[in-house]
Amino acid sequence: MEMDSPLVRLCIEEACKSGDAVERWRLQRRSLEKLPPHLADALLRRLLHRRLLFPSLLEGFKHSVENIDLRGESSINAEWMAYIGGFANLLSLNLSDCQRINSSSLWPITGLTSLTELDLSRCMKVTDTGIKHLQSVVNLEKLWISQTGVTEAGISLLASLKKLSLLDLGGLPVTDQNLISLRALTKLEYLDIWGSNVTNLGAICILKFSNLSFLNLSWTSVTQTLNIPHLECLHMNKCDIVSISKTHSSPLASLKKLVLSGATFSAETESFSFTNQSSITYLDVSNTPLRKFSFLATMINLEHLDLSSTAFGDDSVEFVACVGESLRILNVSYTKITSVGVGNLAGHVPQLNTLSLSQTSVDDLSILLISTMMPCIKTLDLSMTRIQGFMQRQTQQAEPSFAALQSLTSLEILSLEHAYLSDTALSPLSSLTGLTHLSLKSTYLTDFTLHHLSSLPNLVSLGVQDAVLTDNGLEKFSPPSRLRTLDLKGCWLLSKEAITALCKRYPHIKVRHDFADDSSSLEQNQLLPRSSPLEKSGRRRNNQRPESSVAVPRNFVDQRLKYNREELVALQNSPLSQLLPREVLVSVPDILADL
Amino acid sequence: MRETVKLISMEGFEFVIDREAAMVSHTIRSMLTSPGGFSESKDGVVTFPDISTPILEKICQYFYWSLQYSRGKETEFHIEPELTLELMMAANYLHT
Repeated sequence: MEMDSPLVRLCIEEACKSGDAVERWRLQRRSLEKLPPHLADALLRRLLHRRLLFPSLLEGFKHSVENIDLRGESSINAEWMAYIGGFANLLSLNLSDCQRINSSSLWPITGLTSLTELDLSRCMKVTDTGIKHLQSVVNLEKLWISQTGVTEAGISLLASLKKLSLLDLGGLPVTDQNLISLRALTKLEYLDIWGSNVTNLGAICILKFSNLSFLNLSWTSVTQTLNIPHLECLHMNKCDIVSISKTHSSPLASLKKLVLSGATFSAETESFSFTNQSSITYLDVSNTPLRKFSFLATMINLEHLDLSSTAFGDDSVEFVACVGESLRILNVSYTKITSVGVGNLAGHVPQLNTLSLSQTSVDDLSILLISTMMPCIKTLDLSMTRIQGFMQRQTQQAEPSFAALQSLTSLEILSLEHAYLSDTALSPLSSLTGLTHLSLKSTYLTDFTLHHLSSLPNLVSLGVQDAVLTDNGLEKFSPPSRLRTLDLKGCWLLSKEAITALCKRYPHIKVRHDFADDSSSLEQNQLLPRSSPLEKSGRRRNNQRPESSVAVPRNFVDQRLKYNREELVALQNSPLSQLLPREVLVSVPDILADL
Repeated sequence: MRETVKLISMEGFEFVIDREAAMVSHTIRSMLTSPGGFSESKDGVVTFPDISTPILEKICQYFYWSLQYSRGKETEFHIEPELTLELMMAANYLHT
């Protein structure tokens, strides 16, 4: 949320330059009161980012600020909340992942009648008592309390917050009885009860929420899809969908987004007849045991289709091809599709901009097919396929197949993490000047590739993992001006000195390697790299809030500051640090997750 | 087409600056170029009853700095911390 005005930005930076600078203006009460809300919000955000914020400074903002985002701040406690209680114009407050917040620290905000949005996700110490306090925040419209300590009793209390339109109860032990009590919330549009104890009986109560457009029933024992009239988005990941109620008179007419990843079906439901298929624009049936894909043929408005990790193969491609007109995003990774299938698909998907074929047995022929018949491709994942980088022509001369990619003028993100690609095969990549993200992983790569690719002017993220890169090569490397991330994991020949020297030469580039210093001691304000399990799981569950940039809880930073560098390197090999938790569901390759 | 414009602060102080410098502010630019026949566009005088003299002075300094910067002379624009709050509000109003 950057200011359009450069001078405003300069002022905010100057004001937050140091604790001293802050002292020089913090007593200007009248000016602080007069600040327009967006400036006050921006100033507050910057103070937080620079770690200059403390409770009594916060008090100065109590008349002007409308939005406070303190997510992940482990230092927020009752003292802060006491000051926040005085913010008479506060509209939204985000305290997610603030581990010190408990029920009693919510007491000061009970008087805030202006508050409409409150996020307490993962504040484990908030319990039913906290909900009792929240009952007096009568104008709440959006409330997130997923994965807190609230129980069945507390959830029923929420029925008094009549203005609620969004309620996130993910991971809480919601029962069927709760749903009956919550019937009073007639304005509810968004309900998230993943992982709860709701069953088919309770699910029937959900029909009473006539304004509901988003429903998440993932990881519950609900087995029926519900005929909610205006539902637009339904998540039932990992559910056993047994029956589509034949008692429904009309199918879900307005359903746009259907996410059923990891679900299982009984034979009769495979026809997907419970929904008006022409309204669906987003379908995720990854990780399901589906075998027949003929149902796709009626989903003519499909824009996003995820069929990864299913039994999808060449014989089912025709069904995707006949609805390919508006398709923009297609994920068929880890399926049985081959180049033949790609050939049948290409030409029928004129607007496709994102395609993932990773972990399939497509070969170099697909590259040619994609390059000639999928002109709008922007993101392409061909990692772990049978691609070798060379096409055998009739004349025995093997031509590099990647040269064909030049005709894809919109190509920006390319993933070729593949064990068998060589320098020669990859050399045509240097003519793909539009590339911003490139991910390579092959033991045959050498310094040549690194240098060759440094000519790509728009490159923002480059990965050359597992390669045989030398210290000498690294020293001579001159990165493109926009490069911000360089992934050299698995490049075993590189020494610590070379890596440190690289990091010093280019401090604005985030280098990933065993020897790269991750504990950013220089700039403690940085958001941590996106590899924490919390972040990934947050992404899967909060997919209705694209505007939030998820941050790792700050307490991770606090831990590492306890050690100096030598101790940290020594800790590298301890068993706990080897843990690499990965999300079980469809995993986005790192390069795409960086976006 | 005037060469200079006059900006007047809340205390009545008059700052005469180049037209080009003043146009760094989108607000002033639209005041001076609007076809509606505002007095500002005719006389080249704009009054700011809400902006104090030291702040308006700093704003004018910023205009010249911004022109210099866009011509390649990349220096730092120093702002005293005491001024930041009021300056920020003025900059916001002036879209600069």
